[in-house]
Amino acid sequence: MSTKTPAAPAEAQELAKKAPRPSGSKKLFRKVEPYIWIAPSIILMAIFIVTPIVKVFQLSMSKVTRAGLVKGYNNFENFSKVLKSPAFALVLKNTIVWTIAVVVISTVLGFMLALVLNNKFRGRKVARAIVVFPWATTLVIQASAWNFIINKDYGTLNTLLMKLGFISAPVNWTPTPGAYFAWEIACGIFVTIPFVTFCVLSGLQSIDASYYEAATVDGAGYFQKLFNITLPLVKSSLTVATVLNIIYVFNSFPIIWTMTKGDPANHTDTLVTYLYKLAFYNGKQGEASAVSVIGFLILLICASVYMIYTLRKGDDDL
Amino acid sequence: MSQPANAVKKPISVKKTILRVLLYFVVLDVCIITLYPYFAMLCTALKNRVEIFSGDNILPVTALWSNFIDIWSRAPMAKYMLNSVLIAGGSTIIAMLCGIPAAYALARMKFKGQTAFLGFVIVSQMFAPVVLLIGIYQVMQRLGLTDNILGLIFINAAFNQAFTIWLLRGTFMGISTEMEQAATIDGCTRVQSMMKVLLPVAAPGIVTTLIFIFINAWNEYTVALCLISTDTYKPLTVGINTFNGYNMIEWQYLFAASIFAIIPVVILFMCIEKNLVSGLASGGVKG
Repeated sequence: MSTKTPAAPAEAQELAKKAPRPSGSKKLFRKVEPYIWIAPSIILMAIFIVTPIVKVFQLSMSKVTRAGLVKGYNNFENFSKVLKSPAFALVLKNTIVWTIAVVVISTVLGFMLALVLNNKFRGRKVARAIVVFPWATTLVIQASAWNFIINKDYGTLNTLLMKLGFISAPVNWTPTPGAYFAWEIACGIFVTIPFVTFCVLSGLQSIDASYYEAATVDGAGYFQKLFNITLPLVKSSLTVATVLNIIYVFNSFPIIWTMTKGDPANHTDTLVTYLYKLAFYNGKQGEASAVSVIGFLILLICASVYMIYTLRKGDDDL
Repeated sequence: MSQPANAVKKPISVKKTILRVLLYFVVLDVCIITLYPYFAMLCTALKNRVEIFSGDNILPVTALWSNFIDIWSRAPMAKYMLNSVLIAGGSTIIAMLCGIPAAYALARMKFKGQTAFLGFVIVSQMFAPVVLLIGIYQVMQRLGLTDNILGLIFINAAFNQAFTIWLLRGTFMGISTEMEQAATIDGCTRVQSMMKVLLPVAAPGIVTTLIFIFINAWNEYTVALCLISTDTYKPLTVGINTFNGYNMIEWQYLFAASIFAIIPVVILFMCIEKNLVSGLASGGVKG
């Protein structure tokens, strides 16, 4: 074996002990080498993710003019302004309702759909390909399509229901801002289900069929098998899918922006549409940054749960 | 075979038949509901204005295929299309060029700060571009990249790094190091052994990652909406809103253009659908 063997890390260390000592410069290079490999990625993320993060935190604590000039720190004044504004409580409530409703319902439905699609039946491949559609379609287009479908004057939902004889006159599907918000949630659920379904399917496919055979021999029913075999074994797929979903849905912008732009009067705003309007329509970059920071803090709790979970799992595998 | 219902062979029973029928019923319903918006879009794209706003028909009386041709002259669709291809392609290349070495280092080397780097990669997923838009805008202004396709390419590449590294690291770790060791004994450098031995074996995982980034960048909307103001620099997702004016929406053109934006992505997605599931399992989900 040569001294240069890039074996698995543990082996490499052992080999290094046995092998003749490499020269000084070579040793130094081997120490530095990994950092060269990760450098491009780090530079890219440092410029385009870390710098904006730092900027947002800075701005959230600074007085910013409408033109975007920073005029020194102002003692969390942006935060107090945001927290005091009556719109913020409504927006925060909307965000929580939006996130929980979309994540919970799409997780339950997505899980059930995965169970269905995991069966062997004719046309399964076609069905799976169809189910993936909403995941692949950009959210703006999905939202436009739903906006058209539910339109009370010429939307196809009314036309369809009238042709089928379920209703005799067009129904106004969005009589209140709350109803519109509910449709936005429905659209959010619609586009989120495929992600959950495919994460769960990947977990289901790794389950050994012999578990089910053994359980059947022992006389276990469908639901006993579901709760005692299936659920525990797909738990990890489901947890990660859920945490990622919380982050994606919380930060989701295009659906609400396309369907209502948060109107009327913040009734359908979530934190991200609210901060977009604050920053780019009202020129209040300081306050908008404060909203961003509040959003981070809420998500940080979710992300730390995710990180602890994944890293612990990763260590087991190494 | 992993489905509980059929795990044990039994003669065909009434209960089983009912379950089968129920299964097909559910699957059919799900497919219909999923395809409904696309069906509605296609039908609308083939109607004329009057017919759309009357709301009388579901199917167009006469299919007006000319709508699909008209959009190319009513808006700079060819430009939008080209911009989308450039943005998605450019982001994919940069994300892979930065992501492959990083994933390789994480999978094949041991170094100080490895866990910290991994942790950062995971946490970075928490920051969606939309919450950082104000910061992104300022950085882009400093770099002179606002209203510039190159800016969008870098942003998309950066925000897809986490996913790229995570998926590729999983792929690389699932491949045995034996072949690379043999290559090294034969005198290959580390770079050579990676290029000639590891990457060809990891090709399915790499292609999956590649297509996934391409789709993400193709579908990106928020940053493009915020950064791009010149009409001819817009990607499709933003550009199609030309037909979504303040006082009037031209649904037939909006949806005809949307179909052009959807088709390439859906085809690509269907190619990787199977690999993406195993990729999520090996890379993202199991860590």
